[in-house]
Amino acid sequence: MEINIFLQNFADILDDTDAILIKQETVFRDLEEWDSLTALSLIAMADEEYSVKLTGDDIKSSTSLNDIFEIIKNKA
Amino acid sequence: MITLKDKNILVTGASSGIGRQIAIMASELGATVTIVGRNMERLGETISLLTGTGHKMYSIDLSVSSDIDQLITESLPYDGVVFNAGIVEYLPVKFLNDNKISSVFVTNFDSNVILSQKLIKKKLLNKKGSLVFVSSISSKLGVPGTAMYAASKAALSSFSKVLASELASQGIRSNSVCPGIIRTAMTEQASDVVSQEELKKAESEYPLGYGEPSDVGGLIMYLLSDMSKWMTGSDLIIDGGFTLK
Ligand SMILES: NC(=O)c1ccc[n+]([C@@H]2O[C@H](COP(=O)([O-])OP(=O)(O)OC[C@H]3O[C@@H](n4cnc5c(N)ncnc54)[C@H](OP(=O)(O)O)[C@@H]3O)[C@@H](O)[C@H]2O)c1
Repeated sequence: MEINIFLQNFADILDDTDAILIKQETVFRDLEEWDSLTALSLIAMADEEYSVKLTGDDIKSSTSLNDIFEIIKNKA
Repeated sequence: MITLKDKNILVTGASSGIGRQIAIMASELGATVTIVGRNMERLGETISLLTGTGHKMYSIDLSVSSDIDQLITESLPYDGVVFNAGIVEYLPVKFLNDNKISSVFVTNFDSNVILSQKLIKKKLLNKKGSLVFVSSISSKLGVPGTAMYAASKAALSSFSKVLASELASQGIRSNSVCPGIIRTAMTEQASDVVSQEELKKAESEYPLGYGEPSDVGGLIMYLLSDMSKWMTGSDLIIDGGFTLK
């Protein structure tokens, strides 16, 4: 599983955020576009791309995109 | 006093949550209850919680038409039917596809239409009978991620109204109820997509807090009873004051 592909997948669910801002260390919650719908999209993307059931608490306990990536990797 | 004495009542989705509570309350008010769900073990638990005798259970999948036929074949005419089985799926519109659309609609809408249609056609609804469709407050809101759920429930509420006019001449009534958030297995599922903390915070939007299955149950007992004999075609919100906000 590739972090760069994951970052690309994450950038794809966003509509108003410059892909340059999407890095391993990005604190996704601080993105202006982050809201409950983005969270649902992240869950749907994890399901579609990695067949992983990400939960609300997984997101809550994560800070950076790398944290999310690690959770997906562990669940895959 | 509300009584369901001598009434034969069918409750779908009675292996859990709101449906289980409806079956329990109806039996306490004197009804003979037939319960439907997929999970045999949880249906059995519901049966063991019912008051009185003569209750029946069917472990069937309502999204399968031949399963509905089995229930119809073995049914005696009902005085009341609660169409309560339903599923929820949280998905942004961007991620919808044919399968996701139909899985929610088949369970929440199509199966209820088919079941009610077969009950009518086979004359399995007694005169003065009462049909209750469990819709949702979601059908009137625009909560992100609930497009298919909300649309399927709105379709169900509309269906109930048309049915109410078509059945009025037979004295059969049809109403729908739109609950706000009730603590059940279904709301547990919401904690898959929102954190426990967010779920708690959302409860503060409810002037009376989240509901219990028996809160919806009480309204449904009224709708099943003859006390509501002049009520048909209504789509009733019961939400602890949520829509006041
Ligand atoms: N909880 C809420 O906050 C809330 C709010 C508004 C409206 N509602 C509505 O209230 C109803 C009951 O919800 P609940 O909260 O009690 O949910 P629940 O605890 O998840 O119960 C759902 C019931 O539906 C049954 N069911 C689902 N698909 C079925 C199928 N294909 N065939 C047969 N049975 C099926 C389930 O049976 P098995 O598990 O045995 O398959 C279960 O008994 C639903 O229609 C829901 O949309 C709930």
